[in-house]
Amino acid sequence: MDRLKTRWLIFSGLAVVVVAAYLINIKFKTEPSPATMKAYEFIETLPESSVVMFSFDHEASSLPEIQPLALALLRHAFKNDLKIIGLSLFAEGTAIGYDLMTETAAEYDKQYGVDYVFLGFKPQYISAILGMGESIRRVFPEDYLGNPTDNAPIMSGVDSYDDITMVVSIADGDRTVYWVEYAGARYGQEVMAGLTAAMITSYDPYLSSEQLYAVVGGLRGAAEYENLLDQRGGGARGMLAQSAAHLYIIALVVTGNIIYFRNRRRRGGK
Amino acid sequence: MRTKIPLLICLIFGVIMFAQYFSSHELALSVYNSILEWWQIIFAFTLFVGVAAFMKNSLRGISRGKDTPYKIISLVGLILMPVLAIIGGTKIGSPFLWSFENMLAPMQATVFALLAFFVASASFRGFRARTVSATILLVTALIVLLGRIPMAEMISETFPKVTFWIQNYPSMAARRAILIGIGLGSMTTALRVILGIERTYLRGE
Amino acid sequence: MDIGTIVAGLLTLAVFSFLYRDNPVYKAAESWLIGLSIGYALVIFWQTTIIDLLLGPLFTESRYILIIPLILGLMMFSRFSKSISWLSRIPIALMIGAGAGVAIPAMLYARTLKQMSASVMPMIENGSFRIEAIVVVVGVISTLAYFYFSREHRGFTGATAKLGTYFLMIFFGATFGYTVMSRMSTFIGRVDFLLTDFLHLIK
Repeated sequence: MDRLKTRWLIFSGLAVVVVAAYLINIKFKTEPSPATMKAYEFIETLPESSVVMFSFDHEASSLPEIQPLALALLRHAFKNDLKIIGLSLFAEGTAIGYDLMTETAAEYDKQYGVDYVFLGFKPQYISAILGMGESIRRVFPEDYLGNPTDNAPIMSGVDSYDDITMVVSIADGDRTVYWVEYAGARYGQEVMAGLTAAMITSYDPYLSSEQLYAVVGGLRGAAEYENLLDQRGGGARGMLAQSAAHLYIIALVVTGNIIYFRNRRRRGGK
Repeated sequence: MRTKIPLLICLIFGVIMFAQYFSSHELALSVYNSILEWWQIIFAFTLFVGVAAFMKNSLRGISRGKDTPYKIISLVGLILMPVLAIIGGTKIGSPFLWSFENMLAPMQATVFALLAFFVASASFRGFRARTVSATILLVTALIVLLGRIPMAEMISETFPKVTFWIQNYPSMAARRAILIGIGLGSMTTALRVILGIERTYLRGE
Repeated sequence: MDIGTIVAGLLTLAVFSFLYRDNPVYKAAESWLIGLSIGYALVIFWQTTIIDLLLGPLFTESRYILIIPLILGLMMFSRFSKSISWLSRIPIALMIGAGAGVAIPAMLYARTLKQMSASVMPMIENGSFRIEAIVVVVGVISTLAYFYFSREHRGFTGATAKLGTYFLMIFFGATFGYTVMSRMSTFIGRVDFLLTDFLHLIK
């Protein structure tokens, strides 16, 4: 079969498998991983009005995977009446973070400035992370909407990592590493991560050494978290399609190898 | 002069920021905070330089008649976002945010989604158990792919357990070694940069 | 269906058209994406940094010291002139120097010492032997041996490096598995948008 036909066959197969699986609406019970459970238990046991910082350190390209994860974590925090300070160390994460926080806050009747605030974006992430260790106001004199940070009631008594219980970095790259290496190492700030699945193995050493408190990873992680919250969201909805896609890839790998070894045997025979 | 001044500035600021780590004196903190602020501001200008360079190259391309329609489309997009921000601000419901939500974000996400197809194609064409190393890679990938789907858990609890064991121990060990290597290399490079031995950042004007 | 969803749907399909082959519709969408991305970043950088940290404090709080980073920032534009392009080295040197200075203690503690100490785990825990402790130590040392090029990979060093290769293959295999998971999730997200919001085939 020529290369172009094989390519289109593979592409079509993937599209058919995923779309068909997505059209079938079956709910799976996804057992949470130990890391997801740890993240959930931490937020669940925090006293009311504890201040948590959410940093949206990702691009729009990973939005389909990151959004269910971010929503699950935000909903949990708002549901437990925690105070949330949002910011972004990635330009695209700014609009996304602001959108997600505002929409989720509305679900729980939370008030901007009192229950949550979105500080905005700073381009030099190392400088921002280090600067907040001394003074959050100095790094963010105004919030994303242009209001002086001092005026927000939520910021009363909050000026550095000493006043932040946990930083939750929602990332699709290496920004979380800088949170761990600068905020964590220098200022002792606890850091938790919501990551795309592709980044999970890169952060395993930090998780193992307890430099990272917990990791919730990928669409699967979002489904696990939604299961713990007893809510249905984008994570759970996509699990059948995810399973089907994985099985399709496994079938492709196995088929490719069978063809390879058969051809090798034939060439060896000749 | 043209090289010595930048090297001297690099040395001064590098030593200050390194030494400050060990001091909590008021003056040291004040200098530290100021440098962090200046760093932030100067970094923002690098984007503006990049934008100017992009516009210069696009206009040059248009004048030469190379890919003209596409270059015009990019420039229109570039100009549109600041215009929308000036007209309607950047809050919820603004035209700026609307453009981000309904044009930029969907296109970015879809470009990334294309990779799913190429990963599938690569899995069929390139993933061969030719050698022992390749076989180990292949088998590990298959275990992880199988272990992370809910269906596998329904068949047996062993699948996720094996997956997590592989992820948390042998895979993590290799990644840790890479991190340690990068850490040692980064420290050495940082020291070389501060001392002026490494000067690659001075090139490329 | 609102106009935003229609626009998002059409642009999504335009990008997906690349799967058939490279075509003018895809190229136009790609160019539009590039322009919008740069324009978006321009607005965000200007608003959150130049206004908030420079022009605001400079003119409303009279923090005249900020004229220094303003001048240094403007020096970056000297790159466009061959005769004064060397001036752009100064702000770059400041940023590189500051970055290098803060990186040394961070790399030393977080990436080296802490990782090394975490590699040594107790072999006996709660009365039972943990094979994982040996796996991790052997894995870290053998992988480091693979990257140690100051000694020829022969004999004992060669065997250790070979073992390191196998650990690396396990890491790459696991990473590949998770990367497939990630890419599929992104595709599933776009399928969700097309089927639910754009085509209304699912509620």
